[in-house]
Amino acid sequence: MNATERRAPHPIQLPRPRDIIHTEGEARRAVEVGRTRLLIAAAVLAVAFLVVAYRLVNVGLWQQDGKVNVAAIEATPAAAERGDIVDRNGIVLATNLVTASLFAIPEQIIDAGDAADRLAPFLTDMTRGEIEAKLRSDKAFVWLKRNLTPRQHSQILRLGVPGLDFKTDSRRVYPQGGLGAHVVGFTDIDNNGLAGIEQSFDDVLRTGYEPVRLSIDLRIQHILREELARAMAAFNGIGATGLTLDTQTGEVLALVSLPDFDPNLAGMAPEIARFNRATLGVYEMGSTFKVFNTAMALDRGAVELADRYDARTPIKINGFTITDFKPKNRWLSVPEIFVYSSNIGSAKMAQDVGTAAQQDFFRRLGMFQRSSIELPETGTPTLPSPWRPINTMTIAYGHGIAVTPVHLAVGVAAVVNGGIMRPATLIKRQPGQIPDGERIISTETSAAMRELLRLVVRAGTGRPADAPGYLVGGKTGTADKQAGRGYSENSVLASFVGTFPMSAPRYVILAMIDEPKPNAASHGYATGGWVAAPVIRNVVERMAPLLGIEPIEDTLVPDAASALLIAASTAE
Amino acid sequence: MTSVAMREHRAPMAQKVRYLNWGLLLVVTLIACAGFLMLYSAANGSFEPWAGKQMIRFAVGFVVLIAVAMVDLRTWLGLAYVVYAASFALLVYVDVAGEIGMGAQRWIDLGFFQVQPSEIMKVALVLALARYFHRLDFQRIGGPHRLIVPLLLVLAPVGLVLVQPDLGTGGSLMLLGGAIFFLAGVRWWKFVVVLAAAAAALPVAWDHLRDYQKDRILTFLNPETDPLGAGYHILQSKIAFGSGGLFGKGYLEGTQSHLNFLPERQTDFIFTMLAEEFGLVGCVALLALYGLLFLYGYVIALRCRNQFGRILVLGLCLNLFIYMFINAAMVMGLIPVVGVPMPLVSYGGTAMITVLMGFGLIMAVDVNERLKIGRLGQGDEG
Repeated sequence: MNATERRAPHPIQLPRPRDIIHTEGEARRAVEVGRTRLLIAAAVLAVAFLVVAYRLVNVGLWQQDGKVNVAAIEATPAAAERGDIVDRNGIVLATNLVTASLFAIPEQIIDAGDAADRLAPFLTDMTRGEIEAKLRSDKAFVWLKRNLTPRQHSQILRLGVPGLDFKTDSRRVYPQGGLGAHVVGFTDIDNNGLAGIEQSFDDVLRTGYEPVRLSIDLRIQHILREELARAMAAFNGIGATGLTLDTQTGEVLALVSLPDFDPNLAGMAPEIARFNRATLGVYEMGSTFKVFNTAMALDRGAVELADRYDARTPIKINGFTITDFKPKNRWLSVPEIFVYSSNIGSAKMAQDVGTAAQQDFFRRLGMFQRSSIELPETGTPTLPSPWRPINTMTIAYGHGIAVTPVHLAVGVAAVVNGGIMRPATLIKRQPGQIPDGERIISTETSAAMRELLRLVVRAGTGRPADAPGYLVGGKTGTADKQAGRGYSENSVLASFVGTFPMSAPRYVILAMIDEPKPNAASHGYATGGWVAAPVIRNVVERMAPLLGIEPIEDTLVPDAASALLIAASTAE
Repeated sequence: MTSVAMREHRAPMAQKVRYLNWGLLLVVTLIACAGFLMLYSAANGSFEPWAGKQMIRFAVGFVVLIAVAMVDLRTWLGLAYVVYAASFALLVYVDVAGEIGMGAQRWIDLGFFQVQPSEIMKVALVLALARYFHRLDFQRIGGPHRLIVPLLLVLAPVGLVLVQPDLGTGGSLMLLGGAIFFLAGVRWWKFVVVLAAAAAALPVAWDHLRDYQKDRILTFLNPETDPLGAGYHILQSKIAFGSGGLFGKGYLEGTQSHLNFLPERQTDFIFTMLAEEFGLVGCVALLALYGLLFLYGYVIALRCRNQFGRILVLGLCLNLFIYMFINAAMVMGLIPVVGVPMPLVSYGGTAMITVLMGFGLIMAVDVNERLKIGRLGQGDEG
């Protein structure tokens, strides 16, 4: 060290005061400069620290648009949880369950074979070989099983296999099971919405702040589902669908598609069960379309209630014959055509309206496009192309055009509610949020249609739908299903679209049974009147008390329609 | 006085050990422990391959630190230029024959250990500049010709590092040199001249940048344009920061890092990992420890009554600070990705040992002052 000292060209002793202090003034200035520089450097350091700290808060707690990242502040799985889905009364349809998920870090597994042996009894949906393959994977991280049951969790925990660990997970659960499954939909294992409201409201649900409140009333959903299932079973149908719609707001109170599935086990449900007949299924509706045909003809002024048509002979056109199911073989008044569901009379009425006016009317009814209902599963209507005169005639009784059940219910609601068309919604509407809607027909036409619909139930094909005291109106439909190029007489779609109370219709209820088989109770019939109309009666009788609608005496209601029919009949 | 100085020179080891700044040592160790924790987590809860080695390096570095602190300050003053010359030679060697690592020649492979001469150069540069300015008091620093030598001392290694090419280290060496000039009392207007010249040279420099360096700067200016390419690092890093929140996801629970979304998590992005697992609180705690380090440095510098010691301590602190700041700013997207580690925390052998060597020098200054104060009878602070 002394050697170094000697070799150094300059004195390297630590500076003594006299080395620096040349004069007192100089010294003071030197000290001042030194201190100033130190202070400035310290200030720069402090500022830099502040910048880093500010940025930390900015990146860590605030999102880039300046909003507080609330989820991050709480930093718990619960905060990032998906929002609930509830019905209009707040009953939970979809929520989350905190679960444990099992994963492995393969490089920490000491003996993969042994670990697989021990795990296999508890992970029953995987083979021992699959488990071992996962444990031997060269990845840093592998999921073994998501969302363990508490029992599995504790059993595997007790195994104490090193390299296995659990992560708190969140599993979507649907406490109502199949009830409302097609509306609610389901998610994948990472809670991404894959169907139904889960998919269409995925963004909203992800924020998790507020539940999505549906327009569905779970009680009515339950009633409709039960009644449809009963009818489907009684007539050995292959499927059924139906919905209940509020004619004043467009809110869907119930939407059922059978067979349905348990969204808790959506992955195991067959395709046919996941198919939503009510919004995705596109069907030729048959005679229920006479509601639209009659309303259109009356509203256009093409016909009047007292007009009569010759329904004695089938219409032959382009090698196709239009016949009536139960021919009356006489001239029929417009109410009679509707009440007895005459295809011949309806076709002639449509001819009098004309193709262009018919197209315009159905376009305004929304039948030219997919329903705006808030589900990803919506079907596109099938329209004739080109739209020939024969199409105009078949559409009069619901063939040659295919729409979804939602289209039908929305159209019927517009016809009976005074003539205002409002789109169907699955989201509960607050009083201020009800859309104004679009006028389809005049209030007078709507009033006339209400009377005709009531007449069908009082005296026509829809008598089984009559729920005493609730003034049910409606229209039957028995559509032959297409089989190959033609129609099959044996496979039909039996439907009934009902509405009540007829004095001021508040609800439209649609019931459709796919391919019902006649049974003894229906005297060999599998028609809308025998199969679907009783569903409406049962639903009305069960839902009306829930909604506080009191039964009234039929006789108290002025029944102009009956008078009309009598007038028409006597004029024969 | 001279006789006192002579006796100081032979101060017994035991006394020096007594005068060691144990508080500073504790803070250094705490920061290094934060590094071990994160490296253990980066390997998904394993000492292999990073945490174990890093602990061994810290242990070695710690011994180096104590050894450096025990050496008399005047010895270091005398060795300053020698150390600088040696580091410079290593830099030249690495440019000529260094092993190619990550597309840039930065390493010398000693078989058991890979040396990064640019890291050593940081300490050597501070030593050399402190040595030079020690001779110049505030009056004599006025002459511009006095600055030629220190400018060369700074620019020569910067040039060599830029050739490698290592933009981050080159830039921070330059920054470090500038800061020491400033602390030594170089006049304000000279900085202005240099900055203006640098601004004028910027377009020329741009032409000489490698494509990947241009990419990094352009990506920094607009990271979202290339979220899967060069902007990926920063986006992933920001996501990790955001998901950490206030208290973090918990130790070993950071998904961004454990599921390999986060690149270079054991080195450049280790701070991000800390943010994800320990949240804002963890980050602030680490920054506070660094702040405490600088505070210690400042106190030692203020107490030091010779220019060499003062500049040495402040220069080493600033070096550390520049690294910490650039790293933290980089992972949070404040500045472009430049590949600068978090000192004492990031995985890396040379950096760890040179940083600890630097602390050894700081302690040597501290011990020297305490000894002097003790001997001068102005109260024994030990």
